[in-house]
Amino acid sequence: MSAQDDLPKLLGDCVHCGFCLPTCPTYVLWGEEMDSPRGRIHLMQQHAEGAPLNAPMVQHFDQCLGCMACVTACPSGVQYDRLIETTRAEVEREHPRSLKERAIREAIFRLFPYRRRLRALRGPLRAYQKSGLDRLVRRSGVLERISPSVAAMERLAPPLGKAPRLPEFVAARGKRRATVGMLTGCVQGEFFPGVNAATARVLALEGCDVVIPGNQGCCGALSLHSGREDEARAFARRTVETFESADVIVVNSAGCGSAMKEYRALLADDPAWAARAEALSAKTRDLAEFLVELGPRAERRPLPVTLAYHDACHLSHAQGVRAQPRALLGGIPELTVMEIAEPDLCCGSAGTYNLLQPEAASALGDRKAVNVDATGAELLVAANPGCSMQIATALQRRGAHIAVAHTAQVLDASLRGLGRDALVGRTS
Amino acid sequence: MEPLLKALGPRLDALLGPDRVITDPVRLRTYECDGLTNHRSTPGIVVLPDTAEEIAAIVRACADAGVPYVARGSGTGLSGGALPRADGVLIVTSRMRRILEIDVPGQRAVVEPGVINLDVTRAVRPYGYYFAPDPSSQQICSVGGNVAENSGGAHCLKYGFTAHHVLACEVVTPDGELVELAADGPGYDLLGVFVGAEGTLGITTKITVRLTRVPETVQTLLAAFDSIEAGGTAVSAIIGAGMVPAAIEMMDALSIEAAEAAVRCEYPPGAGAVLIVELDGPDAEVAAQFAEVERLCRDAGAFEIRIAADDAERALIWTGRKSAFAAVGRISPAYIVQDGVIPRTALPKVLARIDALSAESGVRVANVFHAGDGNLHPLVLFDDAEPGAAERAEEVSGAILDLCIEHGGSITGEHGVGVDKSRYMPRMFTDTDLDTMQMVRCGFDPAGLCNPGKVFPTPRLCGEVPGVRKGPHPYEGKADIF
Amino acid sequence: MRPLEALAKVCDDVRAGEPEEGVLGVQPALVAAPSSVAEAAEVMRVAAEQGLSVVPRGAETRLDWGTPPRGCDLLVDTHRLDRLVEHASGDLVATAEAGLPLETLAGLLAEKGQRLSLDVPLPGSTVGGTIASGAAGPLRTLFGTPRNLVIGLTVVRADGKIARSGGKVVKNVAGYDLGRLFSGSYGTLGLIVEATFRLHPVPAAAAWVTRRVSGPEEAHEAVQAVLHSPTAPSALEYIGPGTVAALLEGVPDGVAARAGQLVKLLGGDARVTEEAPDGWGLYPDGTTLIDVTAPPPSLRELIGLVDGLQHDVAMTWSGSGHGQIGLPSGMAAEEVAATLGALRDVLGRHKGGAVVRYAPQDVRSEIDPWGPVPALSLMRRVKDQFDPDHRLSPGRFVGGI
Repeated sequence: MSAQDDLPKLLGDCVHCGFCLPTCPTYVLWGEEMDSPRGRIHLMQQHAEGAPLNAPMVQHFDQCLGCMACVTACPSGVQYDRLIETTRAEVEREHPRSLKERAIREAIFRLFPYRRRLRALRGPLRAYQKSGLDRLVRRSGVLERISPSVAAMERLAPPLGKAPRLPEFVAARGKRRATVGMLTGCVQGEFFPGVNAATARVLALEGCDVVIPGNQGCCGALSLHSGREDEARAFARRTVETFESADVIVVNSAGCGSAMKEYRALLADDPAWAARAEALSAKTRDLAEFLVELGPRAERRPLPVTLAYHDACHLSHAQGVRAQPRALLGGIPELTVMEIAEPDLCCGSAGTYNLLQPEAASALGDRKAVNVDATGAELLVAANPGCSMQIATALQRRGAHIAVAHTAQVLDASLRGLGRDALVGRTS
Repeated sequence: MEPLLKALGPRLDALLGPDRVITDPVRLRTYECDGLTNHRSTPGIVVLPDTAEEIAAIVRACADAGVPYVARGSGTGLSGGALPRADGVLIVTSRMRRILEIDVPGQRAVVEPGVINLDVTRAVRPYGYYFAPDPSSQQICSVGGNVAENSGGAHCLKYGFTAHHVLACEVVTPDGELVELAADGPGYDLLGVFVGAEGTLGITTKITVRLTRVPETVQTLLAAFDSIEAGGTAVSAIIGAGMVPAAIEMMDALSIEAAEAAVRCEYPPGAGAVLIVELDGPDAEVAAQFAEVERLCRDAGAFEIRIAADDAERALIWTGRKSAFAAVGRISPAYIVQDGVIPRTALPKVLARIDALSAESGVRVANVFHAGDGNLHPLVLFDDAEPGAAERAEEVSGAILDLCIEHGGSITGEHGVGVDKSRYMPRMFTDTDLDTMQMVRCGFDPAGLCNPGKVFPTPRLCGEVPGVRKGPHPYEGKADIF
Repeated sequence: MRPLEALAKVCDDVRAGEPEEGVLGVQPALVAAPSSVAEAAEVMRVAAEQGLSVVPRGAETRLDWGTPPRGCDLLVDTHRLDRLVEHASGDLVATAEAGLPLETLAGLLAEKGQRLSLDVPLPGSTVGGTIASGAAGPLRTLFGTPRNLVIGLTVVRADGKIARSGGKVVKNVAGYDLGRLFSGSYGTLGLIVEATFRLHPVPAAAAWVTRRVSGPEEAHEAVQAVLHSPTAPSALEYIGPGTVAALLEGVPDGVAARAGQLVKLLGGDARVTEEAPDGWGLYPDGTTLIDVTAPPPSLRELIGLVDGLQHDVAMTWSGSGHGQIGLPSGMAAEEVAATLGALRDVLGRHKGGAVVRYAPQDVRSEIDPWGPVPALSLMRRVKDQFDPDHRLSPGRFVGGI
């Protein structure tokens, strides 16, 4: 059954207790009921009761980051994730947007899901001039919004050396324990090639044959989380086909992993695909989730680094993966994991949010950066490329000197005995 | 919009700027109720002040215009105390959430009214302190709301209520004046009556709270019993032994079922009742008393006792209890959270009567209660899609309050009277009692513009009110109830 | 009908007042001692009809507090309202009439192993007088003052009607809490006739840890050490000059262990005793008694000021941030006024204040006993509602209320 059909029931689950309020980034920023999950559900209810989908309503739906912290906080089990996705799809279908808004949205969705177009963006100076981008992307202003993040990333990425081009197959080191498919992701693949390389190495070092299909495309996460359901379904079908033969699919990007686990709901109404989507969702694992299930085998070498671990919303709230990355990091000798204050609060990245709602996103990024800074850690670890870019940019704005890495890169450095300089450089 | 309000709008815009004055109908409706959803009324205007001075100016503007106003914090109240008025202004303090001062040597902190209860504790915890009032909604309810409602919580058995932990409040009086009310100053203890007045005497803009030293040890025990009666016996034994635990909480089978569905708290299967007993204080005190509590629970027939080994296990024990209200949403489409108090010794009798009520009416009642102080929270379940079910539930819920009064108790232990229970006040108090209470009201707010229609079933006429009144009397409007 | 006759019709103990019954020198014309709440209400009704000014009296222990009444046509004496109405020991709650002496109440409660956790600094003082004056002793640090322990209050209003607020259960937020409003109201809002208290079990064991301190700094440090320790004392006192003492209550093993902890923490000559140290729970000697609100961070300066005075001045201070200073008879009125001013300066910086409870007449005329009273106009308006004719203890309270 689709969410549209049981919308009244989904809405009825909310008892208006307000436990979601303090976990909602926009409520934390503005303190307004309409920009809290409880308020947005109220707006959805108004709409369900016949109020037209008007501009104020859409504004508050658009301002939702989709971080799902409210889902974790809700004692009544309200499925806000389904509610907001259904609502967003409806907004996209029914609500006429302004020309400027349309241009930005179109540009984003013509850019991000396509790796070749993203590739044109790499390198801070190339961003404005690359002819590989279509005119809409260049003229929409999206480049201006994204380039500071890209630039910050380029500066803050760990000095692990040049990322090798990933082959389609990486053989297990030692006795093989599993064969896994690996999703490389669009943004991860282009902006963080080092993360993918580290992921493949760690999997191999832990005894996995890693299959990395060269023809894989976008998983559809950005589209799904923005209400572009048809587009998301198309991406999902393609991803299902690509990975159908794998026993397990390891994903190192939180947003992608959570989207793939949602395929079962996304394609539930499509008889030809429902079962295949269900199967794929069931096989999808976040990297940390998978490694903990597998159990450690490779030797962990000491890494005398103090790091702060950031919970990506699509990992902690959407997938419930909180303990596993901490367990993996905690298992590295001499490594100290610091907790960041307000861990449940989104950093403001939230897929395309920092492009569509730049002011709110940057306020949240600043707040997160203050909390990260307060830990005194020398390295920030996150498991989602969007979060890394967002927090890196905010840290940069504060002038904070802290390196940024993915869990996979920390493990890789430990497994390969690279030492702390590989992660934090020689600046500290 | 009413003409009086319409005239007020531009003045509020000028005070706050249009961004913090909400007049769009769709947005206004999101404020139509607080945590109690069966009373709804869309406010005429919502304002989001950032400072005490702004609140004072808003109140003055309302007073000049003769427009009623209601203050609201996080909107989690369970008696409709922050129910807005269609003909009035809703003043929301949720943006005023700065912790202004932490004075560790003086064991106090100064906070704005929108500060979330738990955030006070989070801020002072590094110094070894916490803010003792801990209502179940502490992760979201505001300190200003705690002041209005005199909030308690599971631990008020030992530590008392908000009134005991507030040393001073800066208050905007219904005149629009900013005054400081202190617990220990010269003159009347106006603070004492302001706390718990449910926002009818003014709006607090700055609160000095007492900080409590984090106890050296906290020991938490979960005891499972076959029946509520057996659990009740254990409670009596513990109190009778001269102990004052930090908390004694009980849940019955139905509420356990709900909590289990919501948060997987893993309470012992098959329990007819679970008792949570928490002792805190110096190591040596707690150690001696804890052994005694355990023995008394076993003597009363506990078939399983779990002792939290660490903070995580303690949190798990409390998770079930703290989410119980909202969790009932998992086992029933709709429910009423009741809040009544009885002398603790009347527990077995009253619970038996509630059982009988439930059986007679066919309305399911889940019981969650602060057993140590006789504060019952029966959750009356119903299906709002079924015709007449809400009325039957309302009837059972009201009958439970009658039971409380009959046994010398109270119609509310912590949720407040609000709009929801004002009609029960005459069952607990005489007309003279209510009239006397309202003398305070008349002293503070002779025009009756500050959160009118709450607490008291009928307003007291305050005599000659200085100044000219415009428009209808604020009590004339009534909230829609469905 | 003359007042005496009218009152005699409703109360069997009415007589003319004696000169020695004066309230700060104001002799009552009549004295009535009702024997029940109903009778008290009748007395108040007649007083209202006759337009009599009324001052309530308990055991006279604090009748010399505050300022003299502008008039006293009728003194309502509560000594015959001395019943313990109910002791619900299973619920740790007791209801007593206003005239019951606290020590008598304590004896009755102790039979069931319970107590009202209020000290009795002045022997003989009654339930009603203690509430009306908001009085408390060292236990205020843990248990607070009457406002924290009164859970239900019955008063007779100026018009003779009986009004109740609160109830018989500890946890109760139905209606306004008039118990707190009447605490410390000096008989200006109504006649307190009955109160319900929350009780506590009498602890199985108690011990005091006492340490000599020399000077403000040492006192401050000792007090801070105890306040921030996890030993959870029931009371923490500075008894001037030079003693810091903490009361520990609980189970025997617990008290012993905590006392040991405190001795170690306080160092110096700290020792454990089973008896309270000298001066514990008593008002300091002197003819002028000043109540100070003095949060812990102000203690250093407070002691510095008191120790620096030309006279031997006694003081006590409780960890809750409240103290008393007794000024000797030798201090001239101007000196008292100057000291009071200095206290208000120092304490004002800490959001505290100083209120003169009692003082010789010549001193009273030189000072403002209350100091700055924030929200005074609000207080007047509340007073006007409860007592529109200003007949109840007129002039006894702040701002001439």
